[in-house]
Amino acid sequence: MSTPVVDRPANRFIDPKVLMKIQNLELLARAVVEGFVSGLHRSPYLGFSVDFAEYRQYMPGDDLRRIDWNVYSRSDKLYIKLYEGETNTRVLILLDVSGSMNYGSGEVKKIDYARILAAVLTYFSYHQRDGVGLLTFDTEVRAHIPASRRSGQLINILKTIENVVPSQTTEFKKPLRYLAELLKRRGIIVLISDLYDEPENIIAGLKALRSKGNDIIVFHIMDDFELNFPFDEAAQFEDLETKRKMHVIPDYLRTKYLEILEDHMATIRKELAGARIDYVLMNTSKPLDLGLFTYLAARAKTQ
Amino acid sequence: MNILNPFFLFGALALAIPVLIHMVRREKSEIVQFSSLMFLLRVPKAAIRQQILKNLLLLILRLLIIAFLVGAFARPYFTQETSQDATAGENRGTVLLIDNSYSMRYGTNFERTKSEAGQRIDAMAAGDQMGVIAFNDKATVLAMPTSDKNALKAAIDTLEPSYAGTKYYEAFTLADRLFGQLAGRQKQLVMISDFQRNGWNRSSRESMIGTDVAIEAVDLGLDNSTNVGIDNAAVDAMSFSRTYAGRVVARIHNHRKDQSVTVPVSVSINEREAGKRTVEVPPNSTTLAEFTGFDLPLGFSKGRIRLDTQDPLPTDNDFLFTIDRREKLSVLVIDSGRRNQSFFLRQAYTSAVELPYQLKIIQAQNATAQEVANHQVVIVNDVPRLSDSIRDRMDELRKTGQGQLIILGDQADAGWWNGFAKLPVRLTQKIFVGKDRGQPFYSVTSYVRNHPIFAPFEKASTLGLNTAQFLAYAEVEPKEGSTVLAKFENGSPAIIESSDADRGLLVFSSTVDNRWNDLPLKPSFLPLFHEMVTYLSRYSEVRGWYALGEGIPVTGGLEAAAAAVINPDGGRQALGDLGPGQQRFFSPEAPGFYEVRIGPDSKMVAVNSPSAEGNLERMPPDDLFASVKRTQGETQQAGLFTEDSAEEYARQQMTWWYLLLIALLAGIAEIYIANRRTYETKRGTAS
Repeated sequence: MSTPVVDRPANRFIDPKVLMKIQNLELLARAVVEGFVSGLHRSPYLGFSVDFAEYRQYMPGDDLRRIDWNVYSRSDKLYIKLYEGETNTRVLILLDVSGSMNYGSGEVKKIDYARILAAVLTYFSYHQRDGVGLLTFDTEVRAHIPASRRSGQLINILKTIENVVPSQTTEFKKPLRYLAELLKRRGIIVLISDLYDEPENIIAGLKALRSKGNDIIVFHIMDDFELNFPFDEAAQFEDLETKRKMHVIPDYLRTKYLEILEDHMATIRKELAGARIDYVLMNTSKPLDLGLFTYLAARAKTQ
Repeated sequence: MNILNPFFLFGALALAIPVLIHMVRREKSEIVQFSSLMFLLRVPKAAIRQQILKNLLLLILRLLIIAFLVGAFARPYFTQETSQDATAGENRGTVLLIDNSYSMRYGTNFERTKSEAGQRIDAMAAGDQMGVIAFNDKATVLAMPTSDKNALKAAIDTLEPSYAGTKYYEAFTLADRLFGQLAGRQKQLVMISDFQRNGWNRSSRESMIGTDVAIEAVDLGLDNSTNVGIDNAAVDAMSFSRTYAGRVVARIHNHRKDQSVTVPVSVSINEREAGKRTVEVPPNSTTLAEFTGFDLPLGFSKGRIRLDTQDPLPTDNDFLFTIDRREKLSVLVIDSGRRNQSFFLRQAYTSAVELPYQLKIIQAQNATAQEVANHQVVIVNDVPRLSDSIRDRMDELRKTGQGQLIILGDQADAGWWNGFAKLPVRLTQKIFVGKDRGQPFYSVTSYVRNHPIFAPFEKASTLGLNTAQFLAYAEVEPKEGSTVLAKFENGSPAIIESSDADRGLLVFSSTVDNRWNDLPLKPSFLPLFHEMVTYLSRYSEVRGWYALGEGIPVTGGLEAAAAAVINPDGGRQALGDLGPGQQRFFSPEAPGFYEVRIGPDSKMVAVNSPSAEGNLERMPPDDLFASVKRTQGETQQAGLFTEDSAEEYARQQMTWWYLLLIALLAGIAEIYIANRRTYETKRGTAS
């Protein structure tokens, strides 16, 4: 899947640093989605995002099958029926709340970024009339709200997202196995994580979900400092998950660290592509557009 | 091994800086929270070790650079252990400094010096050693440290007072080196001198004598000397007439501070008295005595100014000089006979009696080859042509040193002159600036500034060649090998010189009769045409006298010849073969008349003693010693001193140079490794 990228300057609704200032997660999600969608009306992606039905006067050349004959019978005028939104997709957001997600080199921590992304996707999907669910996990499943379109579902999910506290280490095996056993209906699964686990554990779990017909999008949340390792002073590095310490002279380690990280990411990317799972690397210093576009593109496939 | 600048060793503390930085940074290393050490823990230890090794190597290199630089600046040197060290104890090691400068000729000073030195030698106990240094403006070792009294006395006996000036600094430097050989003894410095203040002209702030050296002064100086002498003389060293028209002015200095003196001053030429007068010189001041109007024979005359006085320093009562009486330069002007054609040339060369030129003007049709050969310089002033025999004769005469100036103007026949093979130019056409170039006039705007004919223009800023307006000129093309000495503003040559292979020919491409230009009316005309003729005649200025210590130039003539100098005592000093124009210098060691012979030619040079020595004003020895004695902490100079010590001494001190070289090499290695590391780091970051 090609990943559309829109580079609009000063897109203040999508910039995570600006969004961090909005305390209410629902308000935040609405601001993003409305700003984003209203922005999209000028974009070439129009067509798969709205669920609003409307009528337009028939013009020569329009498909005759799309004429609403009921309206014709009442008004004696020919109208074309545009988009009758359908809601039959279930979206489940898997949010990694392990300790490593609590890292942030700048103002935005990875967990904040993940929270915003999760909230926005939840809000967006909810208003698309999709059933939305949430599962937070680290080594275990910490919270699970099954996908639904009940009223109050949105608030429930957003509150859960708001209240997550990252701790513990990351382990994909258990939560994903749990989910594979639990999920009965296929839908869209969105995994938001920094993927600090062995690639085979991640891939195996996701492949199992994929084989059940789910569309899966993996948002790999990484901080700029994790990706580039621009440290220059020697220091004691402390692992946020295990609290283990290590004396690090960045100049000595940088090259090898970056090689190992790149290797890790390349393996994941390759395996996921093989399983036709969408993979998006999200740098927390970059705006959210990329995530939303990827999600919309994936959802379009399920229509 | 000893060290010349031990204070620089404090620089070694800088070695601690890199290590301290490392330690402090290690102590203070802060805790950085990072998402996960998952990947960092997987970095192989070998890769880290390799980096640590590279950094360790860099640290070592940097420490080495500092260490070697500190070492180099501390100036270490090696000394050989001398045998005297074994006999260390109460034995004395003495260095005797004996002043044999020209001022020591005062009265009986030098005899007293020798007797004082003899007493010091006699006073030596068994096991004592003494070295002897004689100094004037240079210092030499008369005897290396030894216990042999006879050898020391023999060395003193050979010593004679010199005619050179006084310089204490070198003597002390040499004494300090001798002390290096007297390690382990009670060191003593005995200085016998008149302690002339003039001798303390130290150029270095370095102190030379160690704190462990006891200094004794044998002061032969006087607070009020009774010397009267000739300081200086101004002499017009050339004369072109039998009766000397120049002036000999002597400056007579009375060094007495309390009373004026009246002295008879006479001047003699070739040992015959030529003038005499009596002058009164106030205390501690000078008076001038002037002489002129005496007769001179042709060639060099030996002149002597003499003070008829009986003061204790007789050497400066005589002052020598030379005067060269020459015939005037014979200049032949050949013109075409047009009225007033050579008027300005005649004015230029004969307007004053004292001008060194003798001018003859003839018309081209009357000129004969014989007539041309009788002159040192020939000026061909704008004639249509010359006879072929004269042209060929001129070619030959240039080889024997004749100078020729060809002026090409409106009458020059281009066809004939272009047939003159040796002419350094080819005449193309005559240019009238207004008509042909559309400008009112041209000026001479550029010239070869270091050429002798333009020397007056370089010396005087008010004199300019460019003031003359040229309305017309002969356009010429310089031939290969010739040199364009001056150009008009459009680049056309104005003055051209023949090639080095055919020296002695100048071409001026406009007239000198005020028709084509107004040059003869400008102030630049006279100096330019004087200098051109002087240059063509290979005329050389002479100096009336030289001071002892100056290098006297000896310049080769037209042909290669052997050069030699005949000393005042009749001794001959060969200077080897001198090529044409080649220059060598000789430095006389005593005042007197020197005859310089180059092939068949000879000239006389007068050499006088340095005038400053006549001033016997004394400085207190304590002041002198205070400024040469080291303060506590300063180190001694190199210890070893042997006969071929200069080279040896230099070799011992070479160590710093090697250290600097090693520091440089370490620096290059450090830059290479550091750059490699930076490159690797950057590459790592980029990937």
